[in-house]
Amino acid sequence: MNLAALTDCLTSASCLVTQTTSGLIIGMLLFLVAAGLTLIFGVLKVVNFTHGSFYMLGAYLALTVNGLTDSYFLAVLAAAAGVGLFALVFERFFMSKVYGSNVLMQLLVCYAFILILDDAVKIIWGPEFKSMGMATVFQKPPLFIAGGIVPVFYLFLIIVTLILSLVLWLIITRTKFGTVVRAAAVNPSMVSALGINTGLVYSGVFVLGGMLAGLAGGLAAPVRSLTAGMGFSILIESFIVTVIGGMGSIAGALLGSIMIGLVRSFGSIGFPLFVEGLMFLLMAIILILKPSGLLGKEG
Amino acid sequence: MLEVKGLFKSFGGVAAISDVNIDFPTGSLTAIIGPNGAGKSTFFNLISGGLTPDAGSVTFNGTNLVGRSRAQIIDAGIGRAFQVARIFPTLTVEESLLGAVTAHRRRAQNITHRFPLPEMRDRMLEVAEMLGLTEKLGVTSANLSHGDQKLLDIALALVLDPKVLLRDEPTAGMGPDERWRMIEGVHELWEREKLTLIFIEHDMDIVFKIAPKISVLCYGRLLAEGTPDQIRTNPAVIEAYLGTSHEEAAV
Amino acid sequence: MMATRPNLVRDIAIAAVALIILLLLPYVWPSKMVNDLIIRVSAFALFATSLNLLVGYTGMVSFGHGMFFGFGAYAFGLSMQRLGVSIPMAFLITVVSSALLGLVVGAISIRLKDIYFSFITLAFQMLLYSTVIAWVPLTGGDQGLMGGIPRPPFLGIDLSIEAHRYAFAVTIMVVGLLILRQIVESPFGYTLRMIRDNTERATFLGINVFRAKLTAFVIAGVFGAIGGMVMALFVSGAYPEFVNWTMSGEGIFMIMLGGLSTFVGPAAGALILSLLNDVITRGTEHHGLFLGAVILLFALGLRKGVTDFVADWFRLRREASSRSGS
Repeated sequence: MNLAALTDCLTSASCLVTQTTSGLIIGMLLFLVAAGLTLIFGVLKVVNFTHGSFYMLGAYLALTVNGLTDSYFLAVLAAAAGVGLFALVFERFFMSKVYGSNVLMQLLVCYAFILILDDAVKIIWGPEFKSMGMATVFQKPPLFIAGGIVPVFYLFLIIVTLILSLVLWLIITRTKFGTVVRAAAVNPSMVSALGINTGLVYSGVFVLGGMLAGLAGGLAAPVRSLTAGMGFSILIESFIVTVIGGMGSIAGALLGSIMIGLVRSFGSIGFPLFVEGLMFLLMAIILILKPSGLLGKEG
Repeated sequence: MLEVKGLFKSFGGVAAISDVNIDFPTGSLTAIIGPNGAGKSTFFNLISGGLTPDAGSVTFNGTNLVGRSRAQIIDAGIGRAFQVARIFPTLTVEESLLGAVTAHRRRAQNITHRFPLPEMRDRMLEVAEMLGLTEKLGVTSANLSHGDQKLLDIALALVLDPKVLLRDEPTAGMGPDERWRMIEGVHELWEREKLTLIFIEHDMDIVFKIAPKISVLCYGRLLAEGTPDQIRTNPAVIEAYLGTSHEEAAV
Repeated sequence: MMATRPNLVRDIAIAAVALIILLLLPYVWPSKMVNDLIIRVSAFALFATSLNLLVGYTGMVSFGHGMFFGFGAYAFGLSMQRLGVSIPMAFLITVVSSALLGLVVGAISIRLKDIYFSFITLAFQMLLYSTVIAWVPLTGGDQGLMGGIPRPPFLGIDLSIEAHRYAFAVTIMVVGLLILRQIVESPFGYTLRMIRDNTERATFLGINVFRAKLTAFVIAGVFGAIGGMVMALFVSGAYPEFVNWTMSGEGIFMIMLGGLSTFVGPAAGALILSLLNDVITRGTEHHGLFLGAVILLFALGLRKGVTDFVADWFRLRREASSRSGS
């Protein structure tokens, strides 16, 4: 524990800027993953424990495509599309078979996939840590805001993730698909009675969630080391986020993600070994005070 | 004697029950009727401890039941059977009843003996006999017929030795023959066990035939009370039910 | 009419026979591999059966039961290493402290319904895991408890001798399962079943559901911890994997594979999974791939535990004779 370092940082403008930016990055990327998770739970009432593996796949796909085309943007797009496709297959051929079963069965299917995907990644890409490297367009000197260091890439990430969040919000609130999705979350039998193919809606939600997770993986790849099992920590964090924010609430996921991002970045200064513990503590407190989450619906 | 005075309950600004006053003398058989949404189930919930009233009192033999826990209300002697049978699907009829007797006799936490405790058998058989379930003791509850499940539901309530039994739509979901048998069973039970029995019912033929006293709820208020003849000819009641073909046929 | 209910005498007899068979096994089939497997299965059988007390009998789906297994291992290991007490004393300390843990975690978690209960048990488990990893001076961090666990002889038993270790482990398992069996077939056990089947009705019978669930949670925690203790004795240490979520995941797989609806299902699942893990680790370095494939085959194909199939067959026979005969 290093409370002195933490208080020092909180009183220093430059440290505040650096850590807040870093916290925002973590939070926004986490939001992309958590939004998918919360969407899937809200509509299908299923906790997709494989979601972290979606993120991991996105990162590795980006790595490969980047290696082939030398284009970061193509890599990110490939990550989104590739994981979206995988999510479709996963949902149609595996998850849908256990929608009616009890939650333990669903957990087992996801657990199985985590095991399989972790090994698959080791086999295809190798067990060592991999890194993608920064695209040349971002290899510029960092910005200095109030003395704090803000890499150009970070700025880019913040802007892109904000735009993506806006797009997501527009999809959910302004498109027909979004309306159907929201309706299915509340009353699936009504939706199917209206002649809408709920199976398609479910697949669509999974694909959307998968694409978001894949995007996050691809976007984050330049600043992360890639390894099998990298999906696990993001899964746990997005889990915590959705519980804090409220399962099924995207606005809640945004709030929760930013909170967790900041906890992680400031927490790693004050409590370097116990950062995860802090997050779980936060989740436990929310579960005790308001189980449905900060912005979730009651009961 | 169960006395309900000045009962009020609102949900989010909508008054579900307004100023209801009804007396249920000991040993009486009363039917609660009223159009859909009149608040009949809410009324049952309020007097059995499922909901807390906003105002008013529910007094049973002098004891106020409002604000008491479910266990206390059960102890006081109010029993309840449900519209959709609330049973234990994986347990057999026998196990369910034995479990209920064990719980009633406060031995539900025992870990030093094996289930069932021998002293529970007699009461279990007694109740099973009351409801005609003696042949079905070994059947898993989930496999019982719909009617038998309702009987089990009543049995689970009777195990607790209630003085007042609330029955929520005993004939719901049944065909005409089953319906009469069920309601005759209700009547028999009432006569034999000397209970105070209150039941909610939609089938007017049944109500007029069986119930010595009827209370009519409408929009959460007590519209009328009286014998079948009085209710049948009450203009306010007729108007409340206007449009239901059943009422036209009865009148 | 009524099925013959299992009685205590019968269960003790079965347990005694099982214990004798297990104790004689090393002489009939001398193999260190088999002995080690059985010791590990003993630990997991207690862990899995205790989890099923919650999941199968009470309907409380705990995602965090691994916390007790790990806690038991660390509590026992630390008691022996730091407090220098005898093994029976350390056993007592493990039991009492895990009961306390169960009481605290349970009192908080049981207030939550359904999936939120599952989440918070996982949260508590990961909190414990993070603590274990972070508190290096006490727990050795991600290296685990190092230096081995002392095994001073007691009552003529010397656990540094392998034969004694084996006998001790299987005896604890059999006795532990027997106690759990008694609890499950007691009036309390049926109270739990009633809570599982229809909690609302159970409250209408005057049952204090919270207290019953909490009691079940504490009991399950204690026996899970005893399983952890057996494991710690066996590997002479305690490792973070014992407290990790994968432990809970494996526990869930064990009970589902073996069968939720029978008493011995979880123990059978523990055996099957341990064998499976052994075979896979021996055959390939891609453990995850194969284990994952097996789990999928189970979840999408079998869907029911091995002993569930057996139990169903017996139940159908009983119903048929009850309807036709008596």
